[in-house]
Amino acid sequence: MKLRKALMMILAGILLAGVLAACGNSPNNAGDQNAAAGGQNPGAGSTQTGEPQPGAQKGEQVVNVYSARHYEVDDVLFRQFTDATGIKVNVIKGEAEELIERIKREGASTGADLFFTVDGGVLAYAKESGILEPVASSVIEQNVPAKYRDKENHWIGVATRARVIVYSKDRVDPAQLSTYEDLADPKWKRKVLARSSSSLYNVSLLASFIALKGEAAAEAWAKGIVANFARDPQGGDRDQAKAIVAGIGDVAIMNTYYVGLLAHSKDPEEVKVAEQVGVFFPNQETDGTHINISGIGLVKHGKHKENAIQLIEFLTGKEAQETLTNANFEFPVNPAAERAEYIKAWGEFKEQELDFDLLHVHNAKAIEIFNKAGWK
Amino acid sequence: MELARFVRQIRRELDGWRLASLGWAAVLLLPFLFIFSAWFRKPNEQWLQIRAYLLKDYVTGTVQLTVLTGLLAAFLGVSLAWLVAAHDFPLRRFFRWALLLPLAIPPYIAAYTYSNMLSYTGVVQKTLRDLGVEVSPKWLAFGSVRGALFSFVLFLYPYVYLIARAFMERQCASWVESARLLGARPLAVFWRVALPMARPAVAGGVALVVYEVLGDYGVTSYFGIRTLTTGIFQTWFGMYDVESAMRLASWLMVAVVGLFVLERWLRRGRLYHVSGRPRPMAPVRLRGGAAAAAFAFCFVVFALGFLIPVVQLIAWASLAFEDVWKPAFWRWTLNTVAVATLAAFAVTAISLVVANVCRRRTALNQLLARWVTAGYAMPGAVIAIGILAVFIELDGVLAPLYAAMGWGDRPLVLSTSVAMLVLGYVIRFTATGYNPVEAGYENIGTRFSESARLLGHGRTRTFFRVEMPLLRGSVAVGFLLTFVEICKELPLALLLRPFNFETLATQTYRYAKDEQIILAAFPSLLVIAVSLLSVAVLHMAERRA
Amino acid sequence: MGFVEIRDLTFAYDRRQPPVIEGFSLSLEKGEILGILGPSGSGKSTLLRVIAGLEVPAAGTIVIAGKRVVDGGTFVPPEKRGVGMVFQDYALFPHLTVEQNVGFGLHRLPRKERRERVGRVLELVRMTGFERRYPHELSGGQQQRVALARALAPNPDVLLMDEPFSNLDADLRVSIRDELAAILRQAGVTCLFVTHDREDVEAVCDRYIVMEADATSSD
Repeated sequence: MKLRKALMMILAGILLAGVLAACGNSPNNAGDQNAAAGGQNPGAGSTQTGEPQPGAQKGEQVVNVYSARHYEVDDVLFRQFTDATGIKVNVIKGEAEELIERIKREGASTGADLFFTVDGGVLAYAKESGILEPVASSVIEQNVPAKYRDKENHWIGVATRARVIVYSKDRVDPAQLSTYEDLADPKWKRKVLARSSSSLYNVSLLASFIALKGEAAAEAWAKGIVANFARDPQGGDRDQAKAIVAGIGDVAIMNTYYVGLLAHSKDPEEVKVAEQVGVFFPNQETDGTHINISGIGLVKHGKHKENAIQLIEFLTGKEAQETLTNANFEFPVNPAAERAEYIKAWGEFKEQELDFDLLHVHNAKAIEIFNKAGWK
Repeated sequence: MELARFVRQIRRELDGWRLASLGWAAVLLLPFLFIFSAWFRKPNEQWLQIRAYLLKDYVTGTVQLTVLTGLLAAFLGVSLAWLVAAHDFPLRRFFRWALLLPLAIPPYIAAYTYSNMLSYTGVVQKTLRDLGVEVSPKWLAFGSVRGALFSFVLFLYPYVYLIARAFMERQCASWVESARLLGARPLAVFWRVALPMARPAVAGGVALVVYEVLGDYGVTSYFGIRTLTTGIFQTWFGMYDVESAMRLASWLMVAVVGLFVLERWLRRGRLYHVSGRPRPMAPVRLRGGAAAAAFAFCFVVFALGFLIPVVQLIAWASLAFEDVWKPAFWRWTLNTVAVATLAAFAVTAISLVVANVCRRRTALNQLLARWVTAGYAMPGAVIAIGILAVFIELDGVLAPLYAAMGWGDRPLVLSTSVAMLVLGYVIRFTATGYNPVEAGYENIGTRFSESARLLGHGRTRTFFRVEMPLLRGSVAVGFLLTFVEICKELPLALLLRPFNFETLATQTYRYAKDEQIILAAFPSLLVIAVSLLSVAVLHMAERRA
Repeated sequence: MGFVEIRDLTFAYDRRQPPVIEGFSLSLEKGEILGILGPSGSGKSTLLRVIAGLEVPAAGTIVIAGKRVVDGGTFVPPEKRGVGMVFQDYALFPHLTVEQNVGFGLHRLPRKERRERVGRVLELVRMTGFERRYPHELSGGQQQRVALARALAPNPDVLLMDEPFSNLDADLRVSIRDELAAILRQAGVTCLFVTHDREDVEAVCDRYIVMEADATSSD
């Protein structure tokens, strides 16, 4: 009796193991091992807990999005899309590199239809990895100006954000601010705040400097900023704003949408923080403020191309763009869409004229320079 | 004649149980071999960069954090243990077990909770501002090394506390009382008698703390501190370079092995044998100022280590209550429970087999037991890298099989499944399941098994009909403790989890990292609730002992 | 050739230490009750364990019922030796009833036969009616009888008893001794009986040997 019970337990255990493993390995997971990386993946494997689906069985329409963005508004937009078109959106969230790697490995049997991420460098990397293909849609071309799309339309921009200088309204006169380079000047000693160099936002910023000003200038800048740090980099962008208000520093480098999020936070303390800082767009006289782009790409071997293109058209359409900017305070790419009231107050600004591909090209160098400069 | 005897020996030794144990030990060897194999390959460019700029930072970060935490946790744990074991003061009985509770809060949860509480918009600074009190932000700066130390020391000291307290309560009485009778002042009694005698116990507790710190990723990454473990994550995920990650892992492994040896050496102080039955100490009654001080000390630690974080989390959770109940939440919970159950089950099975084999205390058996449970000292990141390397290799080897089964050209089946995560958990937490089971075997002794065998039952039958029923309690304790440890665990889960597979721990971490603390509160509370289970079990098991 | 033949048995716990049993020989007739008398530490319990197969001797041979169970190249495991043993503390399975305990060694028999055999052997030790009790509900003397029944039930070739009376009160010893002797004779089982008490041996055994601290046999 006891023997049988024990055997039952073992059997149950094996079955459970089998089920879990099977959940993770639908025969869809054919893929090539990437020779370049020596067949190694960052350990984030591929268990699909029920998504993405082929969807063709019940006549149900689906589109599968692999997204590296984690903003609540994305889910809202996807829901609106489903309501409007009846196409179900399955979202798989992960880190950008792991998502790209997975799509690569899955090869022709991938479940992904769209790849959605933040940062132009990542989009360029995705294109370079050969997982995307051109989007052909006049609607999209109308919605999105060419500068916010890949040259061959392998990816389509959905929103942008600027990385700006945020300053204490009490202690800093905006007339003192001018350029990024100026922040490296000794007069800002012990007054500058920024987050860690491990953040992709900072790496892309530096990559843009390498592209526009050259390595030497970028390195000098990084070293200058490090010398001016009010404290060692810690926390996220929002923490830099809080640190300004707390008096730890006077200026900080951060993304524009965070200021918007702070100002509309459920926490009244955070709103107060937003009220006490100002936003300054540097380099208006020179090469423009650094912007970065969120974009979405059509996966080459995706199975629901039409649905995918429809989703892109939706996301770049006026309505969705306005929803996006109002909820997340990013800048819409669609010129017909109105920016959120809050960010309209900042006015127009000159953007860096940069091919987003360069953010990827100089990525490794930027990391190296950060390490050399001691930007933690 | 010799050969015949040898053959006879072999045939006797190699029953199914032994073979299974040895087989498992061999499996365990693989990940570590793979990690070391990285050294035999040419270093890539990334590694040279790392070596030039980052390695020193990683090593200093690791060493600094580990040494400081170890010392502080030792101090806090031992002083509290001594206070509670040897003295009587108001609410002492309450504190005796309440001081264990901080163990239920994983350090990474504590880190982000305090960090947000003390931040500019957090409740502390806000209240101070409302009261018109000006406090320089430097005082409340809860970041970087200070914050990490706080998170580690205040939430890991119970390891030291528990072991030291158990020791002091039971073994010290005669010596301490003699010392008192000889007129030694209380502090001298502590320094010169209790502390030196407790050294082996304390060393064991501190070792546990140190291993946790070495393997931590949640706290150190949150505060942006560079350690070998965060370096491993960074090179793996950020720079996508598994080779360099393996090299870092091997460095870390060397450090751990060194510590392991050091721990064994420190614990060899079995010089202080207890003669006679262990009996409890007669506590010294504290009065007046001393009593108040003792009470205050314990209360402050308890409040900081449990009360305050939990209350804050509950407050946050109540703000976000509706947001939490989405289907994804159930999925994470289900994932957590499923994986933890499976892994705990495997751990229990392995523990039962190996502990049974190791009941005979030969040198080989001792080594086997030591080896199988060594995973508790190994950082999750190291284990993860090793497993990954092995599985990728395995997938490569099995590729023709996959092709034959129609799964396409060279897919990565094993190395992308939950199997890796489960294996990682098993390697890491076998000790947790093994210790209670080993104690259980020791308790029942050999006579029942021997009787059963003399009555014609083979080893396996005996196990199921006699030993298992008698071991039920130990097995349950082992299973439960392992289950809880797995639910709390973060680094392994982050590294080895399959695509789109979140556990409560990883999701909490993700929310906290995205600065969405309010959403993180509820899953955190769930993790804490599960951990409280293990504290309860520890407490009850200790009471029965 | 005796029913049980032991030749030149040598056993040491640790190769570095002197052997506990050295060059020991013994011969036992079928149905004989042999006592082994000796002080504690003389290795008598160890001897039983070696005979039972719970320890491996360094040298020597043991033959039971014509079958070689131990020699230079052979080692028959305990479950196959046909040896029954009553431990000093009886070792009754605490989670099983008396009936289940006694029937434990009869797992190869079909249920009906098993029940019959259990009944018969319980009758032999005069514990009929106690089938459903658990060991912790029994007195010391009762436990001993159940332990005996359990060991006898599978009809062992030889029965080993390790200091069976040491756990009993002095007054109980006398009555139980005589009872035990009667039971053993009635069962007709070959028995090896180890004790440090001369009176036990004289009451129960047909003959006895004395084991000194260096374990040489003498009569």
